[in-house]
Amino acid sequence: MRWISQAAALLVLAVFCAAASNAFAGRERRLSWKSAGVAEGGQHAVSKPAAAPASAVSTASSPAAKSTFAPHPDKPYVEIGGEETAQLQGRGDVPVLDARRSSVYREGHVAGARSFSVWESDIDDKIKAFFAEGHDPSGPIVVYCSGGECEDSHTLAQKLYLAGFDAVFVYKDGFPDWQRRGLPVHSGDQP
Amino acid sequence: MAAPRPARTQRGPALRTPLQDRLTSPWLTIRAQIVLAGIFIVAGALKIADPPGFAHEIHNYALVPERLVSPMALILPWLEVVAGLALFLGVWRRAAAGIFAVLLVVFIVALSIDLVRGKPVDCGCFGTSSVPKTEAQRLTEMKVAIGRDVLLLLLAGQILWAVPRPSRRLPPR
Repeated sequence: MRWISQAAALLVLAVFCAAASNAFAGRERRLSWKSAGVAEGGQHAVSKPAAAPASAVSTASSPAAKSTFAPHPDKPYVEIGGEETAQLQGRGDVPVLDARRSSVYREGHVAGARSFSVWESDIDDKIKAFFAEGHDPSGPIVVYCSGGECEDSHTLAQKLYLAGFDAVFVYKDGFPDWQRRGLPVHSGDQP
Repeated sequence: MAAPRPARTQRGPALRTPLQDRLTSPWLTIRAQIVLAGIFIVAGALKIADPPGFAHEIHNYALVPERLVSPMALILPWLEVVAGLALFLGVWRRAAAGIFAVLLVVFIVALSIDLVRGKPVDCGCFGTSSVPKTEAQRLTEMKVAIGRDVLLLLLAGQILWAVPRPSRRLPPR
């Protein structure tokens, strides 16, 4: 079966091209060989319980979270709506992180939000740098993506939880809902 | 005593119907090669332009273990381009068509599973789409993609059928 060895040779050539192309790709085009959904433990991950499975994570807005945005060390994130997100964003001291692609972020994002695209290769470095900035691990953090079936914000929330942050809130309806509400939006590279 | 086996030619049984001759004609094979190679080279190049976007599409299918999403997103588009170039240039045609046949079966199965589950996903076949779509639009596009992949699978099958297997060299007497 000579064609099988030829097919294997084509596969090896494809792997080589993929590795070379990825090595020379720019930041936005580069993809970590380790997938975004595979969580990497940060400095505090050793002492953390494993991330709760998706079914165990609260899918409704928690009343406690609505009133106080209290830490929830037993689960990676709590989902919140547009009203609560606006309340937190309005405080000015709550980090708001955008999990969508950088190119989409530039087109428009929640005012003050920082770009933390989970599908780009530098996401783990960004989370480490964010941790090093000295944010309160029990202070609220809001993450969002495109709402609907978008799970990027949940993936980012898992990563933040494993990095040591106990009060991550996922804006479940995401940026489309923010725009519908007519809340402040910025465009470009800067928050 | 067993009857002696009939002699085989390189292309199989000696008797061939006119339909078989037409279906395996070089005229048809060269066109199947060009169409299949062209489609896969374009599809692969569009995905190579945005590996994170393609990884996201693979992730959305919810069929591949997370650890394999990024390696797949990086290697699959290049495999499409490399095998497409081989087919276009007429080099290792059976190997290239075999790769495409396997890929197309995988794509058809993946789309069918999500269609049965009622999970609308962007196909991701020609890179990522930034146009917002409704669930109904996505489900319709998935059915179209399955139909297109079945047609491409027929082309790959034609090439595998028509291109002769390399003959073994006999040792010198």
